[in-house]
Amino acid sequence: MWDFLFQGFAVAVSPLNIALVMGGALLGTLFGALPGIGPINGIAILMPLAYTLGLPPESALILLAGIYCGSEYGGRMSSILLNVPGDAGAVMTTLDGYPLAQKGLAGPALGMSAIASFVGSTLAIIGLTLFAPLLAMVAVKFGPAEFFALMIFAFASMSAMMGKDPLKTLIGAILGIIIATVGVDSGTGVLRFTFDMPELYDGIDFVVLIIGMFAISEILLMLEHSFDKSSDKGMAPIGRVMVSMKEVMSCKWSMLRSGVIGFVIGVLPGTGASVASAVAYTTEKRIVDKEDTFGTGDMRGLAAPEAANNAAAAGSFVPMLTLGIPGSGTTAILLGALMLYNIQPGPMMFSEQPVIVGGLIASLYLGNLVLLALNLPLAGVFARVLTVPKWILVPCIAVLAFVGVFQLHSDLHAIYLMLIIGVFGYLLRKFGFSLAPIVLGFVLGGLMEQNLRRALAISGGESGILWESALSIGLWIAAIIVMVAPWLLGRFKSKAVAAK
Amino acid sequence: MSGAADRVLSILLLGLAAFIAVQASQLDVPFSYDPVGPKAFPMLLSGILALLSVILFFRPGQGGKWPRGALLLRLLGVLVLLGLYAWFFTLAGYLITTAITVAVLAWLFNSGPAKAVISGVLLSIGSYLLFTFALGITLPWGAWLTSLA
Amino acid sequence: MSTFSFASLRRPLLAVALAGAASVSYAQGGKPECLAPAKPGGGYDLTCRLASNGLEQASLLETPMLVNYMPGGIGAVAFNHVNGVRKGDPDLIVAASTGAALNLALGKFGRQYDASNVRWVGALGVDYGAVVVAADAPWQNLDELMKELQSNPTSVVIGAGGTVGSQDWMKAALMAKSGGVDPRSLRYVSFEGGGESLAALLGGHIQVFTGDLAELKPQLDSGTIRVLAALSDERMDGAYAEIPTAKEQGYDVQWPIWRGYYMGPEVSDADYQAWVERLQELDGKPEFAEMREARGLFPMSKFGSDFDTYVKDQVEEFRGLAKEVGLVK
Repeated sequence: MWDFLFQGFAVAVSPLNIALVMGGALLGTLFGALPGIGPINGIAILMPLAYTLGLPPESALILLAGIYCGSEYGGRMSSILLNVPGDAGAVMTTLDGYPLAQKGLAGPALGMSAIASFVGSTLAIIGLTLFAPLLAMVAVKFGPAEFFALMIFAFASMSAMMGKDPLKTLIGAILGIIIATVGVDSGTGVLRFTFDMPELYDGIDFVVLIIGMFAISEILLMLEHSFDKSSDKGMAPIGRVMVSMKEVMSCKWSMLRSGVIGFVIGVLPGTGASVASAVAYTTEKRIVDKEDTFGTGDMRGLAAPEAANNAAAAGSFVPMLTLGIPGSGTTAILLGALMLYNIQPGPMMFSEQPVIVGGLIASLYLGNLVLLALNLPLAGVFARVLTVPKWILVPCIAVLAFVGVFQLHSDLHAIYLMLIIGVFGYLLRKFGFSLAPIVLGFVLGGLMEQNLRRALAISGGESGILWESALSIGLWIAAIIVMVAPWLLGRFKSKAVAAK
Repeated sequence: MSGAADRVLSILLLGLAAFIAVQASQLDVPFSYDPVGPKAFPMLLSGILALLSVILFFRPGQGGKWPRGALLLRLLGVLVLLGLYAWFFTLAGYLITTAITVAVLAWLFNSGPAKAVISGVLLSIGSYLLFTFALGITLPWGAWLTSLA
Repeated sequence: MSTFSFASLRRPLLAVALAGAASVSYAQGGKPECLAPAKPGGGYDLTCRLASNGLEQASLLETPMLVNYMPGGIGAVAFNHVNGVRKGDPDLIVAASTGAALNLALGKFGRQYDASNVRWVGALGVDYGAVVVAADAPWQNLDELMKELQSNPTSVVIGAGGTVGSQDWMKAALMAKSGGVDPRSLRYVSFEGGGESLAALLGGHIQVFTGDLAELKPQLDSGTIRVLAALSDERMDGAYAEIPTAKEQGYDVQWPIWRGYYMGPEVSDADYQAWVERLQELDGKPEFAEMREARGLFPMSKFGSDFDTYVKDQVEEFRGLAKEVGLVK
């Protein structure tokens, strides 16, 4: 069974292909680093280029794999440096990444995120190599009832993030779920909260939401800080730039666990890097965050979502390659790219086109290695972004936000919506809300409602379907455990604190 | 002291909850294959939100410092600027709107006039080249340039 | 800083702008553009790429065609945009499909719009609906499935990638109707797109999937599914030759998913005709036939007024259907 991988590596290590994977990785990093211009756009834009250049299918795939891996790495940069997530999977990265940068540890944080990304991807690619066909069969067993249970579990895990202000965390999550209800109802086709505006029919675009929420509100907050020097927490000067061995070792279990979680969630069609990183982060917070340092710049809080979202990105290749079913927007476009070359992914692909599969997997391995090699030494250079004065940095963020949204929608309404959401985000932040629960509510809430209703449509209204399978029962039990156990512990802890 | 801000917020959220409930109850559903339908979920959310805002009213937390005076004016200035940027984005084209927006933003962030103008011009041209040539993203020229071309 | 005057800027900017790859989203550069009214990666993206890659390969355009995206409202945003901002743009074609005709019929593009608000250029390919079950399903043909539905419509869970009123739902509803079963009495589940529905079929969560032929090819090759009926007028060739049509099994349901293009309402006859001829010429090339097949599409070959009539008739037909099943009053 290893033949295909060897053949794949044999194809991938030709000079042209190595150059392509490096070029792709660099370009991909650039795409990923710009907010709103993620892997989907990178591949959509460069796919025709690969075709026009007349590259053979393996080489084109290798270029695309490079871009794909690169943009997954690049997405974290703006999360860590600017508190603006580059894509859906990078939202959780802001939670500890940005505080680390504020402490002057931007360099080590970037290095750590590169290592965690590498570990997560590598784990997932190994999983993909070894178990892909098998996993695909398990993944399809995950039906609406199981997805609903998974969402319950994910919401239950969020209770770990309650932090300082549980009430506002809850309100934030509810607001996020409410935002997710805008648009055509996927069950009945009824328009909800669209106010007769066709721009809202498809709901609020995730990219518009996070760019508005994070980037625009960040601009307003930065203005406040620059105006009122006394309130300027500012950035500590950049200290050392390399991540230390000690830091890496302290995260090793977090990375491994999160990599596995990310991969498993990524394999399920319909859930992606955002769900994976959220579950990984909250799980790690429960397991290792004894001193309650997550959210204040804890390396493990950075490593967990980074390992998970990269693992999920690679995991979403499983249903695409083995079933021909794209598990995410990015794999949907990769699927299109494959079809351009007359390659039809599906159950027969592993046996019928081993060179293509092997080449793709080999180039994912190579792409990751190249990116690790690029990112570690360059972390210090990227961290210099923070030394750029505000009067240059802020206009750059504004321009990127505009271009990111405009190239996605070719439409000004989306930009206005982004600005409105930005004001909304700014106000919420001033009220002491954290943005992550809102974004999580948005991602998970829509999935939760849809899958609940799908499950009930299947059963004809019988609610028994929700806890029928072993998988869903397991998830329900896990949800109850994560809800109840820390709540009891938390009460105990707060009493102890109050006693002091 | 800042509990007042949270109280205002709680009233606003209560209003939002009521608005959602009214909107959801007015949905016209021809038919639904699932027993839950499109109304139940928003109604439930509205209920939870209402409950949480009542709790917030009685247990307000510590709010931050709210902008006032010159700062508030500057914040509004930035918003108006970004709104105008959007408004003229396709009309006047990327290069001009970006140059002006960047210059004004830089100036609002205390760059001084010379640096503001230079950064506006350089950034708009530089980013235009980067986006169109390196990243293949199409950006509007604006009507004036087209009439020349 | 008066040295950075407007006049001194203009020349280098023009040089940059005219240099080549640069172009405009609101198509003023005279560059041909295909607008995909969706996010990258979907069917509309494919439709645009079919035109842009095809035209480029066949050297039918002087400058390469751009593909831009305008998601929103299942095409409503782009339709409104073309009717508002770019009514007469001679360089812009917009990707459309049977879904656009359906949405026009349902009034989802805005009540004030119908098919005559744009100029329909032509279609370069077509796919057909299919009724699919898992390989181990009890039904060997459409008739057996319909008999079961007739005796107890809720005993079979049907799933597909769209909500009530979408194309995928229409396939299921029309199938039911052809056997005298009320579409409202079915047990129907909507997923996000064909991929998720196919996964649900393979996982045994739904029993019948009303999908499209082309997306089924890999599963068909591996024998994990059985296609009970193709919703086409006649049987397809090649890998699909074994699949009977619904019509030949006594249920008159057809669902072609054409992939075509429209232009703004005020585009001149000359410009419109130029595009019609361009696409027609492309359609006749053997290399293009290969490309179309690679994307899983069958030949369609309807252009100009022929296509215009076809779409308008289709919208009327859909309007009637929607009334029958109670979607519009």
